[in-house]
Amino acid sequence: MPPVLEATGIAKHFGAVVALSNGSLSVGKGEVHALLGANGSGKSTLCKIIAGTVARDTGSLRLDGSEVSLRTPREAEARGIALFYQELSLVPQLSVADNIFLGHERTGAGGFLDARQLRADTDRLIARFASVAGTGFTADAPVSGLAPDQRQIVEILKVLARKPRLIIFDEATAALDRRQVELFFAILRELKAEGVSTIFISHRMDEIFEIADRITVMRNGATVASFASSETDRDAVVRSMVGDVGIRDRVERAVPPSSGAPRLKLKGASSRRVRDVSLTLRPGEILGLGGLQGQGQSALLQGLFGALPFASGTLEIDGRPVSIRKPADAVRTGLAYVSGDRGRDAALHGRSIFENIGSATMVREKLALVWPRHLRPRFEAAAAALNTKYAGMEAPIGSLSGGNQQKIFIARWLATDAPVLLLDDPTKGIDLAAKADFFALVRNLADKGTSIIFYASEDAELLSLCDRILVFNSGAVSAELAGASLDSFHLTNAAYGEVA
Amino acid sequence: MNRIKTILTDPLVLAALSILVLLAMGEVLSPGFARGDQIIRLLVVSAILGMVAAGQSLVVIGGREGIDLSVGALISLGAVLAGNAMSGNDGGILPAILVAGGVTFVIGLINGLGVTLLRIPPLVMTLGMTGVVQGGLIVLSRGIPSGNAAPSLMGFVNRPLLLGLPGVLFLWALLGLGMWFLLRRTQLGYAIYAMGSNERAAVLTGLPVRLIRTLLYGLSGLLAGVTGVVVIGYTGNSFVSVGDQYVLPSVIAVVIGGISLAGGSGNYFGVMLGAIALTLLQSVLTTLQLEFWGRQLIFGAVLLLLMLLYGRTKQLRV
Amino acid sequence: MSAVAGFLRSRLWLVTLSALMALFVVNWILQPNLVTPNVLKSNLSVFLPVILVAIGQTYVVLGGDIDLSVGSIVALVNVVTVSVIAALGGGAGGVLGGIAAGLVVGIACGLLNGALVALLRFQAIVTTFATGIIFGGLALMVLPTAGLPVPAEYWRTYGSSPLGLPVVLWVLIAALVIVAVIAGRPFIKHLAAAGGQRAAAFQTGLKLAQIRILAYALCGLFAAFASLCLTGETASGDPLMGRTLALASISAVVLGGTALAGGSGSAFGSVLGALVLGMIGNVIFFAGLPFDYQTLIQGLITLLALAGGVLVARRN
Repeated sequence: MPPVLEATGIAKHFGAVVALSNGSLSVGKGEVHALLGANGSGKSTLCKIIAGTVARDTGSLRLDGSEVSLRTPREAEARGIALFYQELSLVPQLSVADNIFLGHERTGAGGFLDARQLRADTDRLIARFASVAGTGFTADAPVSGLAPDQRQIVEILKVLARKPRLIIFDEATAALDRRQVELFFAILRELKAEGVSTIFISHRMDEIFEIADRITVMRNGATVASFASSETDRDAVVRSMVGDVGIRDRVERAVPPSSGAPRLKLKGASSRRVRDVSLTLRPGEILGLGGLQGQGQSALLQGLFGALPFASGTLEIDGRPVSIRKPADAVRTGLAYVSGDRGRDAALHGRSIFENIGSATMVREKLALVWPRHLRPRFEAAAAALNTKYAGMEAPIGSLSGGNQQKIFIARWLATDAPVLLLDDPTKGIDLAAKADFFALVRNLADKGTSIIFYASEDAELLSLCDRILVFNSGAVSAELAGASLDSFHLTNAAYGEVA
Repeated sequence: MNRIKTILTDPLVLAALSILVLLAMGEVLSPGFARGDQIIRLLVVSAILGMVAAGQSLVVIGGREGIDLSVGALISLGAVLAGNAMSGNDGGILPAILVAGGVTFVIGLINGLGVTLLRIPPLVMTLGMTGVVQGGLIVLSRGIPSGNAAPSLMGFVNRPLLLGLPGVLFLWALLGLGMWFLLRRTQLGYAIYAMGSNERAAVLTGLPVRLIRTLLYGLSGLLAGVTGVVVIGYTGNSFVSVGDQYVLPSVIAVVIGGISLAGGSGNYFGVMLGAIALTLLQSVLTTLQLEFWGRQLIFGAVLLLLMLLYGRTKQLRV
Repeated sequence: MSAVAGFLRSRLWLVTLSALMALFVVNWILQPNLVTPNVLKSNLSVFLPVILVAIGQTYVVLGGDIDLSVGSIVALVNVVTVSVIAALGGGAGGVLGGIAAGLVVGIACGLLNGALVALLRFQAIVTTFATGIIFGGLALMVLPTAGLPVPAEYWRTYGSSPLGLPVVLWVLIAALVIVAVIAGRPFIKHLAAAGGQRAAAFQTGLKLAQIRILAYALCGLFAAFASLCLTGETASGDPLMGRTLALASISAVVLGGTALAGGSGSAFGSVLGALVLGMIGNVIFFAGLPFDYQTLIQGLITLLALAGGVLVARRN
């Protein structure tokens, strides 16, 4: 019998970036297949291609032995493939039942909604999860009132309701607690017994060994290994994710970070996506935030900056307690925040380079009046520190390449002389030359005493720059790496580690 | 070639070209249309429109679907308040300006609070406020004559002051300089563009976006109120719906002037040209003896056309 | 206590219904002959246009858009209807032809709005503001000044009482039946999804453009209904008819518990909201307030209702 899904030699590039060079995956009937890999290894792209939301460049995709095209999510859905979305697929204003069956409503005579059938179907689905202690919500509860874990359950039920043959769960357990994970696994086993196949992406290694029949590992856009989970162990899997570069590729700092009093001290910070994080940051130190994407690293940085304020916790800067409730507080306190999502978080679209650099300086220095002639030399110096290429201060921001734009948004904060720099995956989507300029600048700033917290989704960047790395998992710090443990083996291992 | 295309689609150039074309059309249709005194008359009308459009510009540049439809009612309110404060006496001019500007500023702030605190869409909020102000005007003007303009005020608006030009034109030029200074030489001005261009980015550089937006609606109200004072100077006396005719043109002048309804772009000099172009267009349409409905159709079509050029929302699929 | 608040929040129309009943009692005290068939009928005749327009507006708002052109659609439908009736010679056939023409015009206006907003991705607010100006201009083109009476059959039928109930009540019943039919179909869920979380609706595979255009078409259709009723009331053409209906319908929609941001609410709620607005007008009128103050009070209440409605919906 041919496998349910057989993907071979799949490749995909976005512009100049190769997301996937040689993705292969074979999933048997009733199999739970775990897909593993570091950030950027191509596992998400491969899943999206299988679910029809991304079109492949080359490669072959077979369902039950016959070649298929799968150009849209609709087409994939018609062939029984469902993708679990981590977010964005629920409508908060609608009820649980309406969300689960959105677009697949139960209708009776004359095309009218069959409320009773809808309720019964929903209750049956909920009952699968409620068997032990109940989910805490009913079919007609509005989704807006549900907690994140309950929403995730609804998302899972929404996928199940479409009765697929192959389900891709991308981080489906991220918001669930241990008991809910058990329930979810019970469902997976039931599905398995019914002959439904699942592709399972998780950042918790113990879960993977608990549920998966097979494990496929991806690295740098290609499939590198596939194991039966009973015939391998954690160490072997991590080693194959990391490859041969177990040694760290670190450039030693010219000036070591100060060992004096900490510049920034955070204690017990919690918010919706961050759990009880404490950290200290010394002058001139580059502190890395590692782990798989979306484990609370961005939320921590945005919390420090007041964009996503913490619900609890205390912050001290230079020994004095400070309260940061909004970004304006952070800017005046001397914090700077550079986001990787330039278009959304930083770019003043259609405005000049002068304005794009100047906005933070004007706030930090409370300038009532603005004399461009006096500010321009400062801004030009900030842009020059990064080797930024631009026609002139009055050129629109859109005239620059992505890498040069990001340099401008870093220059925005350089011009303010902020002593603490929060970098939120700042090199996303910029070219290698710009990255090199950026790394040189970060080292140079740290050597001069600027304290830096650096989150990067690429492990190599963290390892080459940071003095110390806090590894995040599910919103909490799962490990602190420093000295000899600063290498990709430890980093990957900690990223997949379960938090106590 | 590309360069020529860029220049020709520049809103400022387009507005200036339309002014020339419209002037030529008017002269052909009715000789004497482009005579000096006629042009000054047209400029005075443009100045009144331009003053309301200044407030409208600020609100639109500030983004978040910013628009102020209450300016018409606020002009009427300003005119009625000023008329009653002056009752034909020169000594009442300053109190008239203070009362008209103060009251409309506060009403504008209330608009702003509705938009920022209650998050009512600006168009709905300011339309709702229009109803309240119009109701208030009916109460205010009950039984009492709506007041007369002071002679000096009328002279300032209608009679030559310097170089054969009436004072109101100098006032408008001063307003133009003031708007330039506000937008290009103060942090507030830079902040208005920043929040209109990308509100999230503006917040992330520490700008107090809500406070500024509230203030913008206040300023729009203030400018409408002061325009009301000029309007009563132009017409001599006021009536409760004197400002209604300025609502739609104030929005169109802003858009013709090159300010995108999506916010974050454009400048007031473009709007001044836009106000002149629109006034000319109205005048030419009147010369053509086009009926009211025809003018409405043309206005609506111009607005939709400008939307096509500047006002589209983002695509969902990236 | 919070359980009660939670219960009410998910059933905002109950709050509106209570307000309506309270207003009704106050109105009855101020106007003792309120509960007589004739007075009730004339009240309903006055409220009906706002009710109908508000129903249509609900669908657009539910889908996350807005229609400011409804007032002008009402005017355009009115002048087209009376002109077509006059052109066809005014018999029963002429009246039916006029009504059909009016309905087609209403739907066409809605489709145009929907296409501009959903297909060309124009901002809903400014677009319908602009099309409103155009529809209003077209109305003036068709009929430059008020006048042009409709045949007596039209308004006599509108004022009659077949099967013992007045036509206005039949119209309301018919409208409620249509609302119920729409409320019972998947479309209403898709519409709420489109307005509530557009990205989620898109990802779920809903045909968003089609859904939003249909909502605008429904809005145009209900505006046409309202116009035909107003025509029965005024018995003539008026190109400036319905000017206040855009704001009134939005107020009714908000009062009825529909969120202006889209995603939640119901057309039944809007009917209650429109009735509340009408009753407020009645109470103001019969409370003996000076006439000059009535516009102001009405404006203030509308604004307060908008503010309150938006606030309550956001807490939801």
